[in-house]
Amino acid sequence: MAICPICNIKFDNNDFTSLSEHFIDKANSSEPLHVMWLNRNITKTKVDKSKLGLAFKNFYDLNTAGLKLWIINRFIKDYRGENPHPFIIKMQEYNPYIMEGYAVEHYFFLKQWVRSCSAIISKTDYADIQNYEMENMITEYFGKNKKAHIELLLEMAEGYGIDRNKIMKTTPLKNTENAIKRWREIAEKNQWIEIMAAMHSLELIANRALRPYGARYDYFNYDAFDSRNVPDGVRAFLMEGYRSDEAHSMAALELIEKYSKNYNVQDIQDTYLASTYVFYNYLEARIERGEMIENKQY
Amino acid sequence: MKTNNTEGCALCDATWGEYYREIEGEKTFFCCNICADIFENMVKTVKKETGWNKIDYLELNGNYSKGRICMAKSGDKEFKYYYRTYGDGRLMEFKKL
Repeated sequence: MAICPICNIKFDNNDFTSLSEHFIDKANSSEPLHVMWLNRNITKTKVDKSKLGLAFKNFYDLNTAGLKLWIINRFIKDYRGENPHPFIIKMQEYNPYIMEGYAVEHYFFLKQWVRSCSAIISKTDYADIQNYEMENMITEYFGKNKKAHIELLLEMAEGYGIDRNKIMKTTPLKNTENAIKRWREIAEKNQWIEIMAAMHSLELIANRALRPYGARYDYFNYDAFDSRNVPDGVRAFLMEGYRSDEAHSMAALELIEKYSKNYNVQDIQDTYLASTYVFYNYLEARIERGEMIENKQY
Repeated sequence: MKTNNTEGCALCDATWGEYYREIEGEKTFFCCNICADIFENMVKTVKKETGWNKIDYLELNGNYSKGRICMAKSGDKEFKYYYRTYGDGRLMEFKKL
């Protein structure tokens, strides 16, 4: 099924002509979200529906490389390639306000994370999938002979003087709220493999092993953060995430690829696209919250 | 006012869309209202920063993710700056270069 990643309208599998007509209709009325998506993902040059249909077909084409590589390539292009996400650019130097904004907004991401992981478990009987998700949740929420990821996040915030109770009572920014809403819908309505693609692909953001795939930027500049000026809590949080996301994201993508032949691959691709669309905006919310903190608006 | 984007949208040069807004007294083409908002605010910011009454030409190099390194010209005066916005068009960063 082809789905518009902006407004979630569904079309038949491989019906790229109808998907193109939808985008062209929206573009002709200058609807900004559709125009931006086309500009960023397909082409900035106006084309007719047959050419746009072909461009969409190429966009979805796995090119014999498989689903795992398709997701990695798309993710790198959007976040860590030639045109990196602004948050990745910000993380190339240490900025305490960015880290504080990160701590506040990411708390809400992690609260949704566990709902998504448990939705996956509840929708499959495959033992390797259930075990994978349980191990992931333990790392995030309890830790294994070390502090949990969410605890490290809250301790990082406390190191900056932000009380964890204040974070828990905060209303997330609009981009974070919209993203959580989308992820919650995916967790409720989609199949386990689609939820897995939607969520675990996002862990590629911190994966250290993406250079061979074409990534030009690391999640953060290690040298800039490996400094006495950087609080211990920040380093503890980043290093833990760095290690766990590396292991998590690739293993998850391998599991998705393993089982994908039993499912509609285009539905998995669509769910990834719907998820990454809101993730892009969510990462902007981390910057926005940091700016609010810097301006004493939090 | 001219920009180096000659094919399409005054801000990003995309040729999708059909959105016009009057900028500095001229009907200007944009792909969407967010690009128009960004461009309009950028012009206001540059005029406020420089004290110029009008801008003759804007050169914009970059994109939505990296932000844009720009040069504004008014007569024989030039002003270089960096400009980046959030996805909804609100200003994220402006600095003189």
